[in-house]
Amino acid sequence: MGGRAERIAFWGSGAIVALVIAIGLVSPLIGYDPAAAVDYEQKLLGPGAGHWLGTDAQGRDVAMRLMKGTEAFFLPGLMAAGIATMAGALLGAIAGYAEGWGRTLVVGFLQLVDTLPRLIFIILVCTILNPSITLIAGVAGVLFIPSIATVIRRKVEALGSEDYILAHVAHGFSTTRILLYHILWLQARPLLIRQATYVFGYVLFVETALSYLGDYGVQEPTPSWGNMVAQTRELGGASAWPWVFPAVAIAVTIAAFLAFGNLLARRDEEAIR
Amino acid sequence: MSRLLDVRDLVIEFDTRHGRKRVVDGVSFHLERGEVLGILGESGSGKTMSTLAVLGLVGGRPGVVQGQVLFDEGAGPQDLLADLGRVVKPRGDRLVKNDRRWQRLVHRTMRPLWGRAMTAVFQNPRHSLDPLMTIGAQVEESVRLAQPELDRAGRAGRAVEWLARVQMNDPKRVHSSYAHELSGGMCQRAMIAVALARAPMLLIADEPTTGLDTTVRAEIVALFRELLADRRRSMLYISHDIREVLFLADRIIVMRHGKVVETVAVADLKAGVGERHPYTASLLAAADLAFEAAA
Repeated sequence: MGGRAERIAFWGSGAIVALVIAIGLVSPLIGYDPAAAVDYEQKLLGPGAGHWLGTDAQGRDVAMRLMKGTEAFFLPGLMAAGIATMAGALLGAIAGYAEGWGRTLVVGFLQLVDTLPRLIFIILVCTILNPSITLIAGVAGVLFIPSIATVIRRKVEALGSEDYILAHVAHGFSTTRILLYHILWLQARPLLIRQATYVFGYVLFVETALSYLGDYGVQEPTPSWGNMVAQTRELGGASAWPWVFPAVAIAVTIAAFLAFGNLLARRDEEAIR
Repeated sequence: MSRLLDVRDLVIEFDTRHGRKRVVDGVSFHLERGEVLGILGESGSGKTMSTLAVLGLVGGRPGVVQGQVLFDEGAGPQDLLADLGRVVKPRGDRLVKNDRRWQRLVHRTMRPLWGRAMTAVFQNPRHSLDPLMTIGAQVEESVRLAQPELDRAGRAGRAVEWLARVQMNDPKRVHSSYAHELSGGMCQRAMIAVALARAPMLLIADEPTTGLDTTVRAEIVALFRELLADRRRSMLYISHDIREVLFLADRIIVMRHGKVVETVAVADLKAGVGERHPYTASLLAAADLAFEAAA
Protein backbone atom coordinates (compact mmCIF):
# COMPACT_ATOMS: atom_id res chain seq x y z
CA MET A 1 0.00 0.00 0.00
CA GLY A 2 1.16 3.46 -0.86
CA GLY A 3 1.66 6.27 1.59
CA ARG A 4 -0.58 7.96 4.07
CA ALA A 5 -2.24 10.10 1.41
CA GLU A 6 -3.28 7.04 -0.54
CA ARG A 7 -4.67 5.42 2.59
CA ILE A 8 -6.73 8.50 3.37
CA ALA A 9 -7.95 8.65 -0.24
CA PHE A 10 -8.89 4.96 -0.11
CA TRP A 11 -10.89 5.19 3.11
CA GLY A 12 -12.33 8.61 2.24
CA SER A 13 -13.56 7.57 -1.19
CA GLY A 14 -14.64 4.25 0.28
CA ALA A 15 -16.77 6.03 2.88
CA ILE A 16 -18.47 8.10 0.19
CA VAL A 17 -19.07 5.02 -1.97
CA ALA A 18 -20.48 3.17 1.05
CA LEU A 19 -22.74 6.11 1.87
CA VAL A 20 -24.06 6.31 -1.70
CA ILE A 21 -24.65 2.55 -1.77
CA ALA A 22 -26.39 2.65 1.62
CA ILE A 23 -28.65 5.49 0.50
CA GLY A 24 -29.30 3.70 -2.80
CA LEU A 25 -30.40 0.59 -0.91
CA VAL A 26 -32.48 2.34 1.74
CA SER A 27 -34.10 5.03 -0.41
CA PRO A 28 -36.71 2.80 -2.14
CA LEU A 29 -38.03 1.81 1.31
CA ILE A 30 -38.93 5.37 2.14
CA GLY A 31 -42.22 6.62 0.76
CA TYR A 32 -42.04 9.91 -1.07
CA ASP A 33 -44.80 11.75 -2.88
CA PRO A 34 -43.27 14.59 -4.91
CA ALA A 35 -46.67 16.29 -5.25
CA ALA A 36 -47.34 16.31 -1.52
CA ALA A 37 -43.89 17.71 -0.89
CA VAL A 38 -44.70 20.94 -2.70
CA ASP A 39 -44.98 23.81 -0.25
CA TYR A 40 -44.71 27.30 -1.71
CA GLU A 41 -44.54 28.81 1.76
CA GLN A 42 -41.16 27.16 2.20
CA LYS A 43 -39.57 27.73 -1.20
CA LEU A 44 -35.90 28.52 -1.82
CA LEU A 45 -34.83 28.26 1.78
CA GLY A 46 -31.17 27.99 2.64
CA PRO A 47 -29.84 25.12 4.77
CA GLY A 48 -31.39 25.22 8.20
CA ALA A 49 -32.94 23.24 10.99
CA GLY A 50 -36.15 22.07 9.27
CA HIS A 51 -34.52 21.47 5.92
CA TRP A 52 -30.86 20.56 6.32
CA LEU A 53 -29.96 21.32 2.74
CA GLY A 54 -32.67 23.88 2.09
CA THR A 55 -35.61 23.72 -0.30
CA ASP A 56 -36.10 24.17 -4.03
CA ALA A 57 -38.36 26.49 -6.06
CA GLN A 58 -41.42 24.41 -5.16
CA GLY A 59 -40.49 24.29 -1.50
CA ARG A 60 -39.48 20.63 -1.60
CA ASP A 61 -36.78 19.41 0.76
CA VAL A 62 -33.47 19.19 -1.15
CA ALA A 63 -31.98 16.56 1.17
CA MET A 64 -34.98 14.28 0.59
CA ARG A 65 -34.87 14.74 -3.15
CA LEU A 66 -31.13 14.19 -3.17
CA MET A 67 -31.66 10.89 -1.41
CA LYS A 68 -34.55 9.80 -3.64
CA GLY A 69 -32.51 10.98 -6.63
CA THR A 70 -30.05 8.10 -6.11
CA GLU A 71 -32.74 5.73 -7.39
CA ALA A 72 -32.31 7.26 -10.83
CA PHE A 73 -28.81 5.86 -11.21
CA PHE A 74 -28.19 3.29 -8.49
CA LEU A 75 -29.81 0.13 -9.87
CA PRO A 76 -29.21 1.18 -13.49
CA GLY A 77 -25.53 1.75 -12.64
CA LEU A 78 -25.24 -1.69 -11.07
CA MET A 79 -27.00 -3.19 -14.05
CA ALA A 80 -24.72 -1.49 -16.56
CA ALA A 81 -21.61 -2.42 -14.60
CA GLY A 82 -22.86 -6.00 -14.37
CA ILE A 83 -23.61 -6.28 -18.09
CA ALA A 84 -20.34 -4.67 -19.11
CA THR A 85 -18.04 -6.65 -16.82
CA MET A 86 -19.70 -10.02 -17.22
CA ALA A 87 -20.19 -9.88 -20.97
CA GLY A 88 -16.86 -8.09 -21.42
CA ALA A 89 -14.96 -10.69 -19.41
CA LEU A 90 -16.64 -13.57 -21.18
CA LEU A 91 -16.23 -12.20 -24.70
CA GLY A 92 -12.69 -11.06 -23.92
CA ALA A 93 -11.80 -14.55 -22.76
CA ILE A 94 -13.31 -16.03 -25.93
CA ALA A 95 -11.47 -13.52 -28.13
CA GLY A 96 -8.22 -14.28 -26.32
CA TYR A 97 -8.53 -18.04 -26.29
CA ALA A 98 -10.77 -19.34 -29.04
CA GLU A 99 -9.76 -19.83 -32.63
CA GLY A 100 -11.65 -19.89 -35.87
CA TRP A 101 -15.03 -18.40 -36.62
CA GLY A 102 -16.08 -18.00 -33.00
CA ARG A 103 -13.24 -15.62 -32.40
CA THR A 104 -13.82 -13.79 -35.68
CA LEU A 105 -17.46 -13.26 -34.79
CA VAL A 106 -16.70 -11.98 -31.30
CA VAL A 107 -13.88 -9.69 -32.43
CA GLY A 108 -16.09 -8.31 -35.21
CA PHE A 109 -18.88 -7.55 -32.76
CA LEU A 110 -16.49 -5.88 -30.33
CA GLN A 111 -14.97 -3.72 -33.05
CA LEU A 112 -18.39 -2.72 -34.33
CA VAL A 113 -19.63 -1.66 -30.89
CA ASP A 114 -16.34 0.06 -30.18
CA THR A 115 -16.83 2.44 -33.10
CA LEU A 116 -20.05 3.87 -31.62
CA PRO A 117 -19.69 7.22 -29.84
CA ARG A 118 -21.23 6.48 -26.46
CA LEU A 119 -23.26 9.53 -25.44
CA ILE A 120 -24.46 10.25 -28.96
CA PHE A 121 -25.47 6.65 -29.48
CA ILE A 122 -27.42 6.63 -26.21
CA ILE A 123 -29.29 9.80 -27.23
CA LEU A 124 -29.95 8.23 -30.63
CA VAL A 125 -31.41 5.11 -29.04
CA CYS A 126 -33.56 7.33 -26.82
CA THR A 127 -34.99 9.19 -29.77
CA ILE A 128 -35.94 5.94 -31.48
CA LEU A 129 -37.17 3.92 -28.51
CA ASN A 130 -39.16 4.92 -25.49
CA PRO A 131 -36.46 6.34 -23.23
CA SER A 132 -36.21 4.84 -19.77
CA ILE A 133 -33.29 4.78 -17.40
CA THR A 134 -33.23 0.98 -17.60
CA LEU A 135 -32.85 1.16 -21.36
CA ILE A 136 -30.15 3.80 -21.04
CA ALA A 137 -28.27 1.70 -18.52
CA GLY A 138 -28.57 -1.40 -20.68
CA VAL A 139 -27.23 0.43 -23.70
CA ALA A 140 -24.42 1.98 -21.64
CA GLY A 141 -23.51 -1.48 -20.36
CA VAL A 142 -23.33 -2.89 -23.87
CA LEU A 143 -21.29 0.09 -25.08
CA PHE A 144 -18.66 -0.65 -22.44
CA ILE A 145 -18.31 -4.32 -23.36
CA PRO A 146 -15.52 -3.74 -25.93
CA SER A 147 -13.22 -1.76 -23.67
CA ILE A 148 -13.46 -4.39 -20.93
CA ALA A 149 -13.23 -7.26 -23.40
CA THR A 150 -10.08 -5.77 -24.92
CA VAL A 151 -8.33 -5.57 -21.56
CA ILE A 152 -9.33 -9.12 -20.68
CA ARG A 153 -8.35 -10.41 -24.10
CA ARG A 154 -4.85 -8.97 -23.74
CA LYS A 155 -4.57 -10.53 -20.31
CA VAL A 156 -5.67 -13.94 -21.58
CA GLU A 157 -3.28 -13.77 -24.52
CA ALA A 158 -0.37 -12.69 -22.33
CA LEU A 159 -1.02 -15.39 -19.74
CA GLY A 160 -1.56 -18.05 -22.39
CA SER A 161 2.20 -18.26 -22.90
CA GLU A 162 3.02 -18.34 -19.19
CA ASP A 163 4.70 -21.50 -17.94
CA TYR A 164 2.22 -22.06 -15.18
CA ILE A 165 -0.77 -21.95 -17.50
CA LEU A 166 0.99 -24.56 -19.65
CA ALA A 167 1.59 -26.56 -16.48
CA HIS A 168 -2.11 -26.29 -15.55
CA VAL A 169 -2.96 -27.63 -18.99
CA ALA A 170 -0.51 -30.53 -18.66
CA HIS A 171 -1.99 -31.35 -15.26
CA GLY A 172 -5.38 -31.71 -16.87
CA PHE A 173 -7.15 -28.67 -15.40
CA SER A 174 -10.13 -27.87 -17.61
CA THR A 175 -10.02 -24.92 -19.98
CA THR A 176 -13.13 -23.44 -18.41
CA ARG A 177 -11.57 -23.55 -14.97
CA ILE A 178 -8.28 -22.08 -16.17
CA LEU A 179 -10.09 -19.26 -17.97
CA LEU A 180 -12.73 -18.46 -15.38
CA TYR A 181 -10.85 -19.07 -12.16
CA HIS A 182 -7.12 -18.86 -12.79
CA ILE A 183 -7.21 -16.03 -15.32
CA LEU A 184 -10.43 -14.04 -14.85
CA TRP A 185 -10.88 -14.35 -11.11
CA LEU A 186 -7.31 -14.54 -9.83
CA GLN A 187 -5.48 -12.44 -12.39
CA ALA A 188 -8.01 -10.08 -13.90
CA ARG A 189 -10.03 -9.23 -10.79
CA PRO A 190 -8.36 -5.83 -10.24
CA LEU A 191 -8.99 -4.92 -13.87
CA LEU A 192 -12.65 -5.87 -13.54
CA ILE A 193 -13.08 -3.88 -10.31
CA ARG A 194 -11.61 -0.81 -11.97
CA GLN A 195 -13.79 -1.17 -15.05
CA ALA A 196 -16.97 -1.88 -13.10
CA THR A 197 -16.68 1.24 -10.96
CA TYR A 198 -15.84 3.25 -14.05
CA VAL A 199 -19.00 2.07 -15.80
CA PHE A 200 -21.05 2.85 -12.68
CA GLY A 201 -19.65 6.38 -12.61
CA TYR A 202 -20.36 6.72 -16.31
CA VAL A 203 -24.03 5.79 -15.85
CA LEU A 204 -24.38 8.48 -13.20
CA PHE A 205 -22.78 10.90 -15.63
CA VAL A 206 -25.10 9.90 -18.48
CA GLU A 207 -28.20 10.03 -16.31
CA THR A 208 -27.18 13.47 -15.11
CA ALA A 209 -26.41 14.70 -18.58
CA LEU A 210 -29.68 13.43 -20.05
CA SER A 211 -31.80 14.67 -17.15
CA TYR A 212 -30.09 18.03 -17.37
CA LEU A 213 -30.69 18.23 -21.09
CA GLY A 214 -34.30 17.41 -20.32
CA ASP A 215 -36.05 15.26 -22.90
CA TYR A 216 -34.63 11.79 -22.27
CA GLY A 217 -33.68 11.75 -18.62
CA VAL A 218 -35.71 11.36 -15.47
CA GLN A 219 -38.75 13.63 -15.70
CA GLU A 220 -40.01 16.00 -13.02
CA PRO A 221 -41.50 15.60 -10.50
CA THR A 222 -39.49 12.39 -9.97
CA PRO A 223 -36.18 13.60 -8.57
CA SER A 224 -32.81 12.91 -10.11
CA TRP A 225 -29.57 14.70 -9.47
CA GLY A 226 -29.53 15.79 -13.10
CA ASN A 227 -32.96 17.41 -13.13
CA MET A 228 -32.29 19.02 -9.76
CA VAL A 229 -29.28 20.77 -11.26
CA ALA A 230 -31.41 21.67 -14.28
CA GLN A 231 -33.49 23.94 -12.06
CA THR A 232 -30.71 26.45 -12.36
CA ARG A 233 -32.11 27.36 -15.76
CA GLU A 234 -35.49 28.42 -14.38
CA LEU A 235 -34.03 30.08 -11.34
CA GLY A 236 -31.40 32.09 -13.11
CA GLY A 237 -29.27 33.58 -10.39
CA ALA A 238 -32.12 33.89 -7.91
CA SER A 239 -30.91 31.20 -5.54
CA ALA A 240 -28.04 28.74 -5.65
CA TRP A 241 -29.24 26.45 -2.84
CA PRO A 242 -31.52 24.14 -4.86
CA TRP A 243 -28.80 23.05 -7.30
CA VAL A 244 -25.52 23.48 -5.52
CA PHE A 245 -25.87 20.33 -3.38
CA PRO A 246 -26.88 18.01 -6.23
CA ALA A 247 -24.05 19.42 -8.36
CA VAL A 248 -21.55 18.76 -5.60
CA ALA A 249 -23.08 15.31 -5.03
CA ILE A 250 -22.62 14.40 -8.71
CA ALA A 251 -19.01 15.56 -8.81
CA VAL A 252 -18.07 13.98 -5.50
CA THR A 253 -19.82 10.69 -6.22
CA ILE A 254 -18.28 10.21 -9.65
CA ALA A 255 -14.84 11.16 -8.33
CA ALA A 256 -15.24 8.88 -5.32
CA PHE A 257 -16.32 5.90 -7.42
CA LEU A 258 -13.44 6.29 -9.85
CA ALA A 259 -10.90 6.82 -7.07
CA PHE A 260 -12.23 4.00 -4.95
CA GLY A 261 -12.31 1.56 -7.88
CA ASN A 262 -8.77 2.45 -8.75
CA LEU A 263 -7.43 2.24 -5.23
CA LEU A 264 -9.30 -0.95 -4.44
CA ALA A 265 -7.86 -2.52 -7.59
CA ARG A 266 -4.39 -1.29 -6.58
CA ARG A 267 -4.79 -2.89 -3.16
CA ASP A 268 -5.93 -6.11 -4.76
CA GLU A 269 -2.93 -6.08 -7.09
CA GLU A 270 -0.52 -5.45 -4.26
CA ALA A 271 -2.08 -8.07 -2.05
CA ILE A 272 -1.44 -10.70 -4.67
CA ARG A 273 2.07 -9.67 -5.75
CA MET B 1 1.81 -56.42 -20.45
CA SER B 2 2.59 -54.28 -23.40
CA ARG B 3 4.69 -51.16 -23.49
CA LEU B 4 3.26 -48.06 -21.90
CA LEU B 5 4.52 -45.75 -24.59
CA ASP B 6 5.90 -46.32 -28.04
CA VAL B 7 6.88 -43.34 -30.14
CA ARG B 8 7.66 -44.19 -33.73
CA ASP B 9 9.24 -42.16 -36.47
CA LEU B 10 8.25 -38.79 -35.04
CA VAL B 11 8.88 -35.73 -37.20
CA ILE B 12 8.46 -32.16 -35.98
CA GLU B 13 9.02 -29.15 -38.20
CA PHE B 14 8.81 -25.41 -37.73
CA ASP B 15 8.53 -22.60 -40.22
CA THR B 16 11.19 -20.01 -39.53
CA ARG B 17 12.39 -16.93 -41.36
CA HIS B 18 14.98 -19.11 -42.99
CA GLY B 19 12.48 -21.61 -44.29
CA ARG B 20 11.25 -24.80 -42.74
CA LYS B 21 13.41 -26.43 -40.10
CA ARG B 22 13.14 -30.07 -39.06
CA VAL B 23 13.83 -30.10 -35.32
CA VAL B 24 12.85 -33.71 -34.70
CA ASP B 25 13.78 -36.05 -37.51
CA GLY B 26 12.34 -39.51 -37.33
CA VAL B 27 12.70 -40.12 -33.60
CA SER B 28 11.61 -43.44 -32.12
CA PHE B 29 11.73 -44.55 -28.51
CA HIS B 30 9.65 -46.60 -26.13
CA LEU B 31 8.96 -46.85 -22.45
CA GLU B 32 8.11 -50.00 -20.52
CA ARG B 33 5.78 -49.93 -17.54
CA GLY B 34 7.59 -48.87 -14.40
CA GLU B 35 10.63 -47.85 -16.38
CA VAL B 36 12.57 -44.61 -16.29
CA LEU B 37 13.88 -43.55 -19.67
CA GLY B 38 16.51 -40.83 -19.66
CA ILE B 39 16.58 -38.55 -22.66
CA LEU B 40 19.95 -36.93 -22.94
CA GLY B 41 21.01 -34.17 -25.29
CA GLU B 42 22.10 -30.58 -25.53
CA SER B 43 19.73 -27.66 -26.08
CA GLY B 44 18.21 -27.80 -29.53
CA SER B 45 18.68 -31.52 -29.86
CA GLY B 46 14.91 -32.01 -30.03
CA LYS B 47 14.57 -33.81 -26.67
CA THR B 48 11.98 -31.43 -25.23
CA MET B 49 9.97 -31.28 -28.46
CA SER B 50 9.91 -35.07 -28.72
CA THR B 51 8.36 -35.39 -25.28
CA LEU B 52 5.99 -32.43 -25.62
CA ALA B 53 4.70 -34.21 -28.72
CA VAL B 54 3.60 -37.10 -26.51
CA LEU B 55 1.41 -34.63 -24.62
CA GLY B 56 0.28 -32.85 -27.77
CA LEU B 57 1.70 -29.60 -26.45
CA VAL B 58 4.04 -28.71 -29.28
CA GLY B 59 3.30 -25.07 -30.04
CA GLY B 60 4.29 -23.32 -33.24
CA ARG B 61 3.67 -24.26 -36.83
CA PRO B 62 3.43 -26.70 -38.32
CA GLY B 63 4.72 -28.75 -35.35
CA VAL B 64 4.16 -32.51 -35.38
CA VAL B 65 3.80 -33.58 -39.00
CA GLN B 66 4.49 -37.31 -38.90
CA GLY B 67 4.78 -40.26 -36.58
CA GLN B 68 2.93 -42.49 -34.16
CA VAL B 69 2.50 -42.16 -30.41
CA LEU B 70 1.21 -45.48 -29.09
CA PHE B 71 0.01 -45.18 -25.51
CA ASP B 72 -1.44 -48.07 -23.56
CA GLU B 73 -3.60 -47.26 -20.60
CA GLY B 74 -4.24 -50.94 -20.04
CA ALA B 75 -6.72 -51.70 -22.82
CA GLY B 76 -4.10 -52.13 -25.53
CA PRO B 77 -2.03 -49.54 -27.35
CA GLN B 78 -3.84 -46.58 -28.91
CA ASP B 79 -2.14 -44.42 -31.50
CA LEU B 80 -2.72 -40.87 -30.29
CA LEU B 81 -1.68 -39.58 -33.70
CA ALA B 82 -3.82 -42.03 -35.66
CA ASP B 83 -5.68 -39.21 -37.39
CA LEU B 84 -2.57 -37.27 -38.28
CA GLY B 85 -3.02 -38.26 -41.92
CA ARG B 86 -6.19 -36.17 -42.03
CA VAL B 87 -4.50 -33.23 -40.31
CA VAL B 88 -1.30 -33.06 -42.34
CA LYS B 89 -1.44 -33.25 -46.11
CA PRO B 90 1.31 -32.94 -48.67
CA ARG B 91 1.09 -29.88 -50.86
CA GLY B 92 3.81 -29.62 -53.45
CA ASP B 93 7.05 -30.68 -51.80
CA ARG B 94 6.07 -29.85 -48.22
CA LEU B 95 3.58 -30.95 -45.59
CA VAL B 96 0.76 -28.56 -44.72
CA LYS B 97 -1.11 -28.80 -41.46
CA ASN B 98 -4.72 -27.90 -40.75
CA ASP B 99 -4.56 -26.15 -37.37
CA ARG B 100 -8.24 -26.63 -36.51
CA ARG B 101 -8.10 -30.33 -37.23
CA TRP B 102 -4.92 -30.58 -35.16
CA GLN B 103 -6.62 -28.86 -32.24
CA ARG B 104 -9.52 -31.27 -32.55
CA LEU B 105 -7.16 -34.27 -32.62
CA VAL B 106 -5.40 -33.04 -29.47
CA HIS B 107 -8.72 -32.37 -27.81
CA ARG B 108 -10.08 -35.81 -28.62
CA THR B 109 -7.14 -38.12 -28.08
CA MET B 110 -4.65 -36.36 -25.83
CA ARG B 111 -6.58 -33.96 -23.65
CA PRO B 112 -8.46 -36.74 -21.80
CA LEU B 113 -5.08 -38.17 -20.76
CA TRP B 114 -3.63 -34.95 -19.37
CA GLY B 115 -3.09 -35.03 -15.67
CA ARG B 116 -4.88 -38.35 -15.25
CA ALA B 117 -2.72 -40.68 -17.33
CA MET B 118 0.24 -38.51 -18.23
CA THR B 119 1.54 -35.28 -16.85
CA ALA B 120 4.60 -33.11 -16.90
CA VAL B 121 6.95 -31.27 -14.59
CA PHE B 122 8.81 -28.47 -16.32
CA GLN B 123 11.92 -26.51 -15.62
CA ASN B 124 11.52 -23.12 -13.98
CA PRO B 125 9.46 -24.41 -11.06
CA ARG B 126 8.79 -20.94 -9.72
CA HIS B 127 7.11 -19.93 -12.97
CA SER B 128 5.26 -23.20 -13.24
CA LEU B 129 3.20 -22.45 -10.14
CA ASP B 130 0.29 -20.05 -10.11
CA PRO B 131 1.61 -16.91 -8.39
CA LEU B 132 -1.80 -16.06 -6.98
CA MET B 133 -2.71 -19.36 -5.38
CA THR B 134 -1.31 -20.98 -2.29
CA ILE B 135 0.70 -24.14 -2.85
CA GLY B 136 -1.95 -26.06 -0.96
CA ALA B 137 -4.76 -24.79 -3.19
CA GLN B 138 -2.81 -25.93 -6.24
CA VAL B 139 -2.20 -29.42 -4.91
CA GLU B 140 -5.87 -29.53 -3.96
CA GLU B 141 -6.86 -28.81 -7.55
CA SER B 142 -5.18 -32.04 -8.53
CA VAL B 143 -6.58 -33.88 -5.53
CA ARG B 144 -10.07 -32.71 -6.47
CA LEU B 145 -9.69 -34.13 -9.97
CA ALA B 146 -8.29 -37.39 -8.61
CA GLN B 147 -10.81 -37.81 -5.79
CA PRO B 148 -13.92 -35.71 -6.48
CA GLU B 149 -15.71 -37.35 -3.55
CA LEU B 150 -13.51 -35.65 -0.94
CA ASP B 151 -14.82 -32.60 0.88
CA ARG B 152 -12.82 -29.47 1.54
CA ALA B 153 -11.16 -30.78 4.71
CA GLY B 154 -10.42 -34.11 3.07
CA ARG B 155 -8.76 -32.40 0.13
CA ALA B 156 -6.66 -30.23 2.41
CA GLY B 157 -5.59 -33.31 4.34
CA ARG B 158 -4.58 -35.13 1.16
CA ALA B 159 -2.69 -32.06 -0.04
CA VAL B 160 -0.69 -31.89 3.19
CA GLU B 161 0.05 -35.62 2.86
CA TRP B 162 1.37 -35.05 -0.63
CA LEU B 163 3.49 -32.15 0.48
CA ALA B 164 4.94 -34.42 3.15
CA ARG B 165 5.58 -37.13 0.57
CA VAL B 166 7.67 -34.77 -1.52
CA GLN B 167 9.68 -34.21 1.65
CA MET B 168 8.69 -30.69 2.56
CA ASN B 169 10.02 -29.85 5.98
CA ASP B 170 6.90 -28.14 7.20
CA PRO B 171 4.02 -29.30 4.97
CA LYS B 172 1.38 -27.34 6.86
CA ARG B 173 3.24 -24.06 6.47
CA VAL B 174 3.99 -24.76 2.80
CA HIS B 175 0.31 -25.55 2.27
CA SER B 176 -0.59 -21.93 3.01
CA SER B 177 2.45 -20.38 1.29
CA TYR B 178 2.70 -18.74 -2.12
CA ALA B 179 5.31 -19.66 -4.72
CA HIS B 180 7.31 -16.48 -4.17
CA GLU B 181 7.73 -17.38 -0.51
CA LEU B 182 9.45 -20.67 -1.32
CA SER B 183 12.89 -21.54 -2.65
CA GLY B 184 13.27 -22.92 -6.16
CA GLY B 185 13.79 -26.43 -4.85
CA MET B 186 10.65 -26.26 -2.72
CA CYS B 187 8.68 -24.96 -5.70
CA GLN B 188 9.83 -27.95 -7.71
CA ARG B 189 8.78 -30.31 -4.91
CA ALA B 190 5.39 -28.61 -4.89
CA MET B 191 5.15 -29.06 -8.67
CA ILE B 192 5.93 -32.75 -8.29
CA ALA B 193 3.21 -33.02 -5.65
CA VAL B 194 0.69 -31.33 -7.98
CA ALA B 195 1.69 -33.67 -10.81
CA LEU B 196 1.67 -36.89 -8.80
CA ALA B 197 -1.48 -36.21 -6.76
CA ARG B 198 -3.52 -37.59 -9.64
CA ALA B 199 -1.43 -40.75 -9.80
CA PRO B 200 -0.59 -40.58 -13.51
CA MET B 201 1.04 -43.59 -15.19
CA LEU B 202 3.49 -41.44 -17.07
CA LEU B 203 5.44 -38.52 -15.69
CA ILE B 204 7.40 -36.37 -18.08
CA ALA B 205 10.12 -34.41 -16.31
CA ASP B 206 11.63 -31.81 -18.60
CA GLU B 207 14.91 -30.65 -17.10
CA PRO B 208 13.31 -30.33 -13.68
CA THR B 209 16.59 -29.41 -11.97
CA THR B 210 17.69 -26.66 -14.34
CA GLY B 211 18.30 -23.44 -12.48
CA LEU B 212 18.52 -25.05 -9.05
CA ASP B 213 21.58 -25.11 -6.78
CA THR B 214 23.78 -28.18 -6.99
CA THR B 215 22.80 -29.57 -3.60
CA VAL B 216 19.12 -28.93 -4.28
CA ARG B 217 19.43 -30.66 -7.64
CA ALA B 218 20.76 -33.75 -5.93
CA GLU B 219 17.82 -33.68 -3.51
CA ILE B 220 15.26 -33.39 -6.30
CA VAL B 221 16.84 -36.22 -8.26
CA ALA B 222 16.88 -38.38 -5.12
CA LEU B 223 13.22 -37.51 -4.55
CA PHE B 224 12.31 -38.68 -8.05
CA ARG B 225 14.15 -41.93 -7.44
CA GLU B 226 12.32 -42.53 -4.21
CA LEU B 227 8.89 -41.64 -5.59
CA LEU B 228 9.40 -44.01 -8.51
CA ALA B 229 10.96 -46.82 -6.52
CA ASP B 230 7.71 -48.80 -6.31
CA ARG B 231 7.73 -49.05 -10.15
CA ARG B 232 4.07 -48.15 -10.40
CA ARG B 233 4.84 -45.13 -12.51
CA SER B 234 6.98 -44.57 -15.55
CA MET B 235 9.00 -41.50 -16.30
CA LEU B 236 10.63 -39.77 -19.21
CA TYR B 237 13.46 -37.82 -17.65
CA ILE B 238 14.90 -35.18 -19.92
CA SER B 239 18.22 -33.65 -19.03
CA HIS B 240 21.49 -32.45 -20.39
CA ASP B 241 23.22 -33.73 -17.26
CA ILE B 242 24.52 -37.24 -17.84
CA ARG B 243 25.11 -37.84 -14.12
CA GLU B 244 21.46 -37.23 -13.25
CA VAL B 245 20.31 -39.44 -16.08
CA LEU B 246 22.63 -42.29 -15.13
CA PHE B 247 21.48 -42.07 -11.52
CA LEU B 248 17.77 -42.20 -12.32
CA ALA B 249 17.25 -44.03 -15.58
CA ASP B 250 17.02 -47.68 -16.51
CA ARG B 251 17.77 -46.91 -20.14
CA ILE B 252 18.87 -43.78 -21.91
CA ILE B 253 18.53 -42.41 -25.37
CA VAL B 254 21.00 -39.83 -26.59
CA MET B 255 19.71 -37.21 -28.99
CA ARG B 256 21.56 -34.86 -31.26
CA HIS B 257 20.36 -32.63 -34.10
CA GLY B 258 16.84 -34.02 -33.89
CA LYS B 259 17.90 -37.68 -34.09
CA VAL B 260 18.40 -40.48 -31.63
CA VAL B 261 22.06 -41.37 -31.94
CA GLU B 262 22.16 -44.08 -29.30
CA THR B 263 19.88 -46.17 -27.12
CA VAL B 264 21.51 -48.06 -24.30
CA ALA B 265 20.60 -49.71 -21.00
CA VAL B 266 22.28 -47.92 -18.12
CA ALA B 267 23.50 -51.21 -16.71
CA ASP B 268 25.22 -52.00 -20.02
CA LEU B 269 26.70 -48.54 -20.20
CA LYS B 270 28.08 -48.77 -16.71
CA ALA B 271 29.42 -52.24 -17.40
CA GLY B 272 31.10 -50.93 -20.51
CA VAL B 273 29.25 -53.41 -22.69
CA GLY B 274 29.41 -52.64 -26.39
CA GLU B 275 30.73 -49.67 -28.31
CA ARG B 276 29.61 -46.14 -27.41
CA HIS B 277 28.56 -43.69 -30.08
CA PRO B 278 31.30 -41.01 -30.29
CA TYR B 279 28.88 -38.33 -29.08
CA THR B 280 27.86 -40.38 -26.03
CA ALA B 281 31.53 -41.06 -25.37
CA SER B 282 32.25 -37.34 -25.49
CA LEU B 283 29.42 -36.63 -23.03
CA LEU B 284 30.82 -39.26 -20.66
CA ALA B 285 34.30 -37.84 -21.03
CA ALA B 286 33.06 -34.31 -20.42
CA ALA B 287 31.44 -35.46 -17.17
CA ASP B 288 34.71 -37.21 -16.26
CA LEU B 289 33.04 -40.60 -16.26
CA ALA B 290 34.78 -43.63 -17.67
CA PHE B 291 33.16 -47.03 -17.66
CA GLU B 292 35.41 -49.87 -18.72
CA ALA B 293 34.32 -53.34 -19.55
CA ALA B 294 35.40 -55.75 -16.86
CA ALA B 295 38.42 -57.55 -18.22
